[in-house]
Amino acid sequence: MSLFLIKSIAITFSNIKSNKQLFLLSVATNFIAFFVLGLFFLLFVNLNVFFSSWDNHVQLIVYLDDNISNKNKNKIKLLLDTNDQIESVDFISRDQAWAIFQNEFEIKSNFITSLKYNPLPASYVIKFKNDKNRLENIKAFSLKIKDSRGIESLEYGEKWISKFEQFMIFLRGFILIFGVLLFSGMTLIISNTIKFSIYTRKDEIDLMSLLGATHFFIKAPLVLEGIMQGILGAFFSLAGIKLVCTYMIFKFHGSLDSILRGVDFQFFTSPIIFSILSTGIIIGILGSLLSVNQFLDTRKLE
Amino acid sequence: MIKAFNLYKSYGGVSSVLSDISFEIQDGEFVFLTGPSGAGKTTLFKILFGWEKFDRGQILVGGINVGKLNQKNLYLLRRKIGIVFQDYKLLAKKSVFENVAFAQEIIGTDTKTVKSKTWNALKSVGLVKKKDSYPSQLSGGEQQRVSIARAMVNNPDLILADEPTGNLDSEISKEILGLFEKMNKQGKTIILATHSSEILREKKYRRLSLNQGKLVKFN
Repeated sequence: MSLFLIKSIAITFSNIKSNKQLFLLSVATNFIAFFVLGLFFLLFVNLNVFFSSWDNHVQLIVYLDDNISNKNKNKIKLLLDTNDQIESVDFISRDQAWAIFQNEFEIKSNFITSLKYNPLPASYVIKFKNDKNRLENIKAFSLKIKDSRGIESLEYGEKWISKFEQFMIFLRGFILIFGVLLFSGMTLIISNTIKFSIYTRKDEIDLMSLLGATHFFIKAPLVLEGIMQGILGAFFSLAGIKLVCTYMIFKFHGSLDSILRGVDFQFFTSPIIFSILSTGIIIGILGSLLSVNQFLDTRKLE
Repeated sequence: MIKAFNLYKSYGGVSSVLSDISFEIQDGEFVFLTGPSGAGKTTLFKILFGWEKFDRGQILVGGINVGKLNQKNLYLLRRKIGIVFQDYKLLAKKSVFENVAFAQEIIGTDTKTVKSKTWNALKSVGLVKKKDSYPSQLSGGEQQRVSIARAMVNNPDLILADEPTGNLDSEISKEILGLFEKMNKQGKTIILATHSSEILREKKYRRLSLNQGKLVKFN
């Protein structure tokens, strides 16, 4: 078996050597395809991470009517106190809200801070417990209390979150369709390169068959050549994406802290890297088998 | 060694190439396959080593029922046969030694055995001194000797030679024929296709004569 493997690898390298340019062209094409797809995937992964971290900062703010009765206020307080998903509740009175607002905007706008009356409502700032269904819990609780008497409005960035979720669904679909197209394209590119490799060695392959080589022995070096093309394309694309990633971290680290809330731009995790390399291998196997089987079929007994 | 029963072969079911061919060749025999061009000699050879299928009949080679083989297990048949072609079919980028070694490497022979068997095969065809030459540097007769060395190196029971002297002059042809006779004396079954009247006149081996796809004589 080891002799067979050594022989197959030797034939593979000899094939690559004699079709060097075509091999490199195929690797380069695979690299570009993997790189483009990888960048989209990296964006998706990072947006997911960012979304999850942002998710942890989402809190529900319940704005109260200015003339809310004590009875209604107590009812709302009771609802908050009896919900076991809620971690903490802070009451911000109208005066406190105005003071915070003035504090934050006094330098930026004299017009707002010079108003003679307080336009802000009192509110409850509700923080929910960390839970994988945190956002769902917030949504559910909002629905439950939104029609309660004395509540002016609710705020937890619902519209923004919904748009973001829709964008993520779109991005996932886009990556999937784009991925399938590129997967097929790359498979065909490898298939054509191997086909060329087969036809330049047609006589040798026929001779191998006539001299008693098994199909497995004939196929193995060609499949290995396909695997090399796929995995090298994937590997170089990962290296390229890593460079882009390092540049992003170097360029934007710190400057986007207020938006990213301490979340750094991330490279792929080990399982994702492994999956991308495996995809390269699968593409290589499929592409080469497509051509080898096609060729051997034409050598069928007639 | 070979038993053929009522063998028929046509292309596209119309043009008949072989028709009702039956014969039997014993182990260790030397047989000439003769007939004019287009008689079906090459087709019969191709059937014998499983390159082409036949329409009807049965053929057994070394106990293997050729008609029952599929593409994946054909190698079992081909490992029993050494094939010598009129156009040699040597690999231009490989040296004489590598061409002969190639036949062993592709069936998984270990490196040490490959070296010693290749050396012996080249010795028996008198080409040791040319072991590092490339086919383009050899004469026709030398190239055919390499081809014979390659056919015999795996020690097959049967040697099929399709017009091995077709491209060679009469002196070289005799030398080549001598090599086949030498292998025959070592117990190999030889089937040699030829239409050289000189060879046929001089050598009195059994003849399988085909004409227009029919067996006209097997004495």
